[in-house]
Amino acid sequence: MSTLSQLTSLTWTSLAEKPVLETGATVFAFLAATRISRLGGNHPLLNPTLLAIVLISLGLEATHIPYETYLRGSDAIHFMLGPAVVLLAVPLFRQRSVIRASARLIAVGLAVGLPVGVLSAVGLAWVLGASSQTTLSLAPKSVTAGIAVGISEQIGGLQTLTIVLVIMTGITGAVLGPIIARLARIDDPRVVGLTMGIASHGIGTARALQINEVAGAFSGLGMGLNGVLTAILLPLIFGWFRF
Amino acid sequence: MLEQIARVMFWLCVGEIAARSGLLPLPAPVTGLILLYAELAVRGKLPDDLGVLADRLLQFLGMLFVPAGVGVIAYLDVLKAEALPILAAVIGGTAITLFVTMVVANWVGIAIARGPEQKPGRLKEEVRDVNS
Repeated sequence: MSTLSQLTSLTWTSLAEKPVLETGATVFAFLAATRISRLGGNHPLLNPTLLAIVLISLGLEATHIPYETYLRGSDAIHFMLGPAVVLLAVPLFRQRSVIRASARLIAVGLAVGLPVGVLSAVGLAWVLGASSQTTLSLAPKSVTAGIAVGISEQIGGLQTLTIVLVIMTGITGAVLGPIIARLARIDDPRVVGLTMGIASHGIGTARALQINEVAGAFSGLGMGLNGVLTAILLPLIFGWFRF
Repeated sequence: MLEQIARVMFWLCVGEIAARSGLLPLPAPVTGLILLYAELAVRGKLPDDLGVLADRLLQFLGMLFVPAGVGVIAYLDVLKAEALPILAAVIGGTAITLFVTMVVANWVGIAIARGPEQKPGRLKEEVRDVNS
């Protein structure tokens, strides 16, 4: 028994030096998570990213692989995040005529949604006694994860914590967005979509796409512009506070 | 396709240089995004392969956050100890943001729709966009 576990642990360690296993495990976990999510009718609570994170975490727990080993091994996937964020320019460019046609509405949505999103999160966390690191990790919570990670690092938050907070925010926005729209008696799909994109990024956008195509387009737009503007503004503002 | 991968990597590298040299306080990929958008805006059209590349990669964007997200198991204690402020900020903050933004944006949307001078201008811009 002990020799067997020694042997398996040896195999795991030697394999873990090459990133094949971690990369493969991540792809399979995400594939499984996507299937589970589809079985559940793509409900916002069954977010594939969150499911895959849970699956991998359980797997690491079961195999006693330290998470540092996994993180090092899955670098190949983490790396792709950079090019993927650059490529967000493409859907934004495709929507340029929509941006121009509804410039004023979009500008107002961002002028309200961006500061309210950051200040409500930071304010509530601060009032309720969160540590400064947690508060900083919360600041970019409404921004799409790829950009939020960079912002979090820049202002002194924890990248990994930010990712989970971003996903939680996305799920919250996807669930609450349509409910709040109904309560406030707002049925303009441009307004609902734009707001959901600004408040809850890609996960909110996926939900907005289920409302209709206009809501989806405006949501993607809100997500992209909010991400870029927050990345420009937050490090500047937090930079001023520090000095 | 290789040309488009090179284009993306080029702007990402420029962003990285700008970030590392302290020229811009922006995450490198965000600088890359802005510069790629600027390039496309100057060209006025999207290369087909770049569109395909973006659609393919962005299709499984969610997978790319998994490695970093798994790191949170090291911070489970933080999440537990600060559960109240975190949940309040995430759920309460998002609800406030959704409500305030929707109400203000809706008000502006109605105001725009009522403005009679707005519509011809919007139509003209759309026509110009088709021509370009």
